[in-house]
Amino acid sequence: MSRSGLARSYSLASLSAILLGATILSDAAVAQTANQAATQSTAQTQTGTATNRTSRGATDPGVRGGDPGAGDAIANLTEAEQKYFDVAKDVFQEVDGVAEGLGPRFNLDACAGCHSQPAIGGSAPAVNPQVAVAKAANNVIPSFITESGPIREARFVRNRDGSPDGGVHALFVITGRPDAGGCRIRQPDFAGELARNNVVFRIPTPTFGLGLVEQVSDGTLEATLAANGQQKRALGISGRFNRSGNDGTITKFGWKAQNKSLLMFSGEAYNVEMGITNELFMNERENDPSCQATSIPEDTTPMESENTGSPTADFQNDITLFAAFMRLLAAPKPAGAAAPATGTAQAAASTVVASADSVLPVAAGATSRTSSTSTNATATVTRGGQVFANVGCQACHVRSLTTAKSSTAALSNITFEPFSDFALHDMGQGLSDGVSQGGANGREFRTAPLWGVGQRIFFLHDGRTKDLQEAIQQHSSRGSEANNVVGNFNLLSTDDKQALLNFLRSL
Amino acid sequence: MRRAIIVCCVVGLVAGGVVVWRHGAELLSLGAVTSDMPSPDAGRVTDGVYRNDYFDLAYPLPEGWTQGVGGPGPSANGYYVLETLVPKGEFAGTIMIAAQDMFFAGEEAATTASMIGAVREAMSQVDGMSIDAEPAALSVAGRAMHRVDFSGVGLHRSQFVTEIRCHIVSFGLTARDQELLDKLRASLSGLAFGANKSAPPCVKDFVVADNVVERVEPELVTFEPIAVRLVIGARGDVKHVRAVRASAGQRRALEQALLQWKFKPPTIDGRPTQIETGLLYKSAVAAR
Repeated sequence: MSRSGLARSYSLASLSAILLGATILSDAAVAQTANQAATQSTAQTQTGTATNRTSRGATDPGVRGGDPGAGDAIANLTEAEQKYFDVAKDVFQEVDGVAEGLGPRFNLDACAGCHSQPAIGGSAPAVNPQVAVAKAANNVIPSFITESGPIREARFVRNRDGSPDGGVHALFVITGRPDAGGCRIRQPDFAGELARNNVVFRIPTPTFGLGLVEQVSDGTLEATLAANGQQKRALGISGRFNRSGNDGTITKFGWKAQNKSLLMFSGEAYNVEMGITNELFMNERENDPSCQATSIPEDTTPMESENTGSPTADFQNDITLFAAFMRLLAAPKPAGAAAPATGTAQAAASTVVASADSVLPVAAGATSRTSSTSTNATATVTRGGQVFANVGCQACHVRSLTTAKSSTAALSNITFEPFSDFALHDMGQGLSDGVSQGGANGREFRTAPLWGVGQRIFFLHDGRTKDLQEAIQQHSSRGSEANNVVGNFNLLSTDDKQALLNFLRSL
Repeated sequence: MRRAIIVCCVVGLVAGGVVVWRHGAELLSLGAVTSDMPSPDAGRVTDGVYRNDYFDLAYPLPEGWTQGVGGPGPSANGYYVLETLVPKGEFAGTIMIAAQDMFFAGEEAATTASMIGAVREAMSQVDGMSIDAEPAALSVAGRAMHRVDFSGVGLHRSQFVTEIRCHIVSFGLTARDQELLDKLRASLSGLAFGANKSAPPCVKDFVVADNVVERVEPELVTFEPIAVRLVIGARGDVKHVRAVRASAGQRRALEQALLQWKFKPPTIDGRPTQIETGLLYKSAVAAR
């Protein structure tokens, strides 16, 4: 080989190795960042400088106690609609076994198992039901699932061949259950994948008020994102929507706004989380023939009346009823709501708002708080709302939206307060999970609606923290649109930080 | 020879890994630069000075300040967070340098005056925010700018904007107290703006049907328009293509196609002139 050829070979080898090294380590870095953060509730924040993290004088008041203010139907339903909701709610709470189609791989055995805090339809509860379900089937409990931790699903960032994965890998198998028959499949090697920094997590999203969200038109969302463009620009914020690959319309459900509708959300979750095939998602995700005891799809439209008490529900499959439950489920009420956060259906736009400037009940399980702290907290909620707007949280966590004219009168022309623009925003390296869904890339997440945040236990997509203040800090890392807003938060006085935290816990 | 190749591989692996470990996977982000002309977001801080070749500006950081956390990549409509700056010691304020491409923004960003007016309007509507100084035109470091000041919940803020290469470049200053804000404002007098002699003049709305002589459609489908900056030579040939925000595949398809486009020779004062302009590329979308 000539000298120049030799040099070219060296150069080529170096270049290839650099690219290989960069690719391998960039993926590893994503999962490592996610895992480190997800496994440390007091994870290091990434606000840029250590001195940014000077907010320790303020504390998260903790989960708000008292009336859940959630879990009921939206106001002003017709009698038929109310019956329909009641049946749908029952079905949402059903626990499924293998005969109903559970598995062969699954994360939990009931919708309401994941969606239960502070009421049916909510998010992950204080005691993780995945532990008991896993033990019942002699499953190995992965290290990232604990009794006091969040309910989680696991996704692998990459396949073994290095190609992108991003899909859910169910935690548990039916093997070992009395109703599992001859099924002998094994759980994924989570310990191995964790060692390879290849696992990222998601926790359940609350479903309160989603019928209102579903009824917001694309035009309203686009106008909302465009509104106050200069305020957003002054804060380093832009944002965009995830869109359906079918028709280009906005999608808005799920952590990355990847699901088009509540029906799609239901069908996908029934299949992916519980392993139950249905008329939207017909395929089993595990193809071992020894585990295929039931016919496909497992959830079907009944051909005969189910005699549920609701003629509408009598001939509907489970996923339609799940969607109906979420569609008719009321928005969560903030603390001291003067009126039900469900509003009244009127021909003209009506307002579904509740004042957050009254009481802030003592946090459930809060042992370190004193009554004077609670009183102070109450007094600062109004100030906290002002701080929320001033530092720029409200640029993405948009306070109110209005529904379009709906065929369900109770959902028609309603102004409600989700505290979200339902757009995707770049949340930076610190929150990146490396998973692309639809148009959302690994760093982009939908603005998480903050309604009901006062009664939520776990925060951020992977449930990495129970501390609201930590959740705020986690919004800041290299590449995040929220860096400037978090910087503003860190510049606040301790009193104003506390006011903001109290305000959030009043929602 | 084998040993040498192995050594090169090891060195390469380590170097690549270190680069990515330090700078993160955003190196592979949607906003990656794919051609040789400087990109608006390719500025950096060196020796206590923020320099940006695209905008031909330099800003000596206030004493005791340094780079903060890097911002996101460019937005779909050409908004860039160019740099964030923070004090090295007590966290008492922030500086954010940003830019909005005027080709792809709404009427609010048509001029620096309209933009600063819109900032004032937006901030005045925030509960608890007060406008401390109404929008005003001024000269900073010899350059025409507009400014507005506002404050709320203990944060004092100033926004300065100026136009460079058909972008509105902004300096957002935030401080816990008025004294620091005054110091940050004063630091802007250290700004140095070059003549940007190598930059072609920017011309809005040049890419219209009347000016396009030949076009080749990119092989891509996108639900949202993709903002593209073009440099068109004095003979009407495309010299440079930069999709502001696009996936690697979209970027490749756009560059391959747009480099084959031919335009009528652009003229300024009757003379054929190389120009920089913008195109909002929209593909046909067939709804099923």
